[in-house]
Amino acid sequence: MTLPLYYNWRNLFVRKLTTLLTVAVIAVVVAALIVLLSFGTGMQRSVGGSGHPANLLVLNAGATAESTSLIWPEDARLLVQTPGAAVGPDGQPLVSLEVVVQTDVRRLRDSSSANVAVRGVDDVGFLVHDQVQVRGRMFTQGAREAIVGRAAQSLYRGLNVGDRVALGRSRSHEYEIVGVFESAGSAFESEIWAPRTMIADSYQRRFDSSAVIRLDNADRMAAAADYVNGPAVRLKATSEPEYYRQLSDQSQQVVYLVLGLVIIMATGAVFAVANTMYAAVDGRRREIAMLRTLGFSRLAIVAAFLVEAAMIAGLACLVGIAASLPFSGLRRDFLSNVTHSVTGFEIVITPGICLAALAAALLVGVIGAAAPSARAARTPIVRALRRG
Amino acid sequence: MGAAGIVLRDVHKAYFKDRLEIPVLAGLNLEIAPGEFAALMGPSGSGKSTLLHLVGGLDTPTRGSVRVGESQLESMSESALTAWRSRHVGFIFQMYHLVPVLTAAQNVELPLLLFRMASSERKRRVQTALSIVGLGDRTDHRPNQLSGGQEQRVAIARAIVTDPDVLLADEPTGDLDARTSEEILNLLNALNTEFGKTIVMVTHDPRAAGHAGRTLHLDKGVLDREEVNARKTAAASAS
Repeated sequence: MTLPLYYNWRNLFVRKLTTLLTVAVIAVVVAALIVLLSFGTGMQRSVGGSGHPANLLVLNAGATAESTSLIWPEDARLLVQTPGAAVGPDGQPLVSLEVVVQTDVRRLRDSSSANVAVRGVDDVGFLVHDQVQVRGRMFTQGAREAIVGRAAQSLYRGLNVGDRVALGRSRSHEYEIVGVFESAGSAFESEIWAPRTMIADSYQRRFDSSAVIRLDNADRMAAAADYVNGPAVRLKATSEPEYYRQLSDQSQQVVYLVLGLVIIMATGAVFAVANTMYAAVDGRRREIAMLRTLGFSRLAIVAAFLVEAAMIAGLACLVGIAASLPFSGLRRDFLSNVTHSVTGFEIVITPGICLAALAAALLVGVIGAAAPSARAARTPIVRALRRG
Repeated sequence: MGAAGIVLRDVHKAYFKDRLEIPVLAGLNLEIAPGEFAALMGPSGSGKSTLLHLVGGLDTPTRGSVRVGESQLESMSESALTAWRSRHVGFIFQMYHLVPVLTAAQNVELPLLLFRMASSERKRRVQTALSIVGLGDRTDHRPNQLSGGQEQRVAIARAIVTDPDVLLADEPTGDLDARTSEEILNLLNALNTEFGKTIVMVTHDPRAAGHAGRTLHLDKGVLDREEVNARKTAAASAS
């Protein structure tokens, strides 16, 4: 039989300062973990969730990202013969040639500069990227007009409808922003889209960066990739979701790095809990001996101190969640070391993340209390009573 | 539960300090009848408290046998002794040893948490025990809101709430003034005479020992002599 919870709860406040400091230490770990997980989840959602399962992304062999890839027109022409390519309303295969470049913009938050991807697309681009929904007006092919992704508009200066953004090798061509688009929260929302021919002209590009081929069935991905990778074309084909998943994995490296830091902090918190619980055990040796005299088992004593530590951890978790809530909904961006452009994402604190933080806090509490609880259970009854 | 008798046969107990054997009890033989109130007296180091701990199952003899009621304690495991204590013995300490964060009622309730019992039944027993010790109106007070005498009454209520066979009191009046000591001793007397509890009380105070039916004097780990309190015995016979 275990001791009642009110016994544990009230004992937490016998050493108020020690308990509060321990709560604070664990709360910092919890808050850091929540923000980190939310950060990772936001990045995962924005990058990892991009791409259509029936889209085949084509880069030149050896390229790791669209921004470093080039596809010459003679190679591009071969792509229309890709087996399994879906056909558009005009009877032509759905092959979207795209030019991807970067331009420097200023962040709204602190005016620092950020490299935003600019994607030149033809009309067919909106058929292969059919999740893209434009609010306002679509740009006109042949005009220096652009639409911006929702995330880009909310993070950077001068990207509102009606604004003019300078693009081109010497930033000499001004494009009017005529609309804003959404793309189910994917990485495209961090980009500026404009007519392909105009972007190619502004950046003096005689080649494209990538091609996206919509297949009539995702099951035909392997055959289509074999054709593109094979001797007839000699380009590199990846399913579009897989390409973005790989980008996401690379962007997650920073998350792992910070996670290491959180683990170090959590280790410190374990020692803080241990210190608090050792003090609690030493201050209550006679009480423990009395409880053992009444008939409470060693296990009941261990459980009592573990429950107390879990209560401290639970309190700390609540404080940590409260401290991290102001970060929820914030929009930030990160610079990919692969694409060399920024991707915006939203920090979202989900119930799952809070549960993970609670589990981590409880783990810190229980590990920290393990040795002190064992010491409590080993309290020699007779000697502890005599000291009274 | 009723009262239990206590029988010790050739009990030896030694402690070790720095690998040096320190004998405390040296072949002690003792019998305390069911329902008896016995006082243990003797100089410091004579083995009084050690004897109490052996009878209470808090410690085991180096040699010899300790029987309380039907239980042969020296052959029981530590976990069996723990369970046995919760059902058969009530302890009263000199320093009360109440849990400071719990109310009087919650302190008294503690031993009952080891039993499968409805909450209403627990509360009824707690109220009864506190009423017996005269603290029925102090149930929600914390130990720091009680006087020393009241704290000891709560400790006695905690000792009797499970209706144990034996009450073991280690200097129960050692920290109290004369008047309060008298009240506590009268309470122990009542528990002995009215409820038939077997009581073993360690004390240095001859006046406290005078409340017991028999005083056992220990010296150097053996029973040196014993005195029967004629007044108490006569009163018991009369009742």
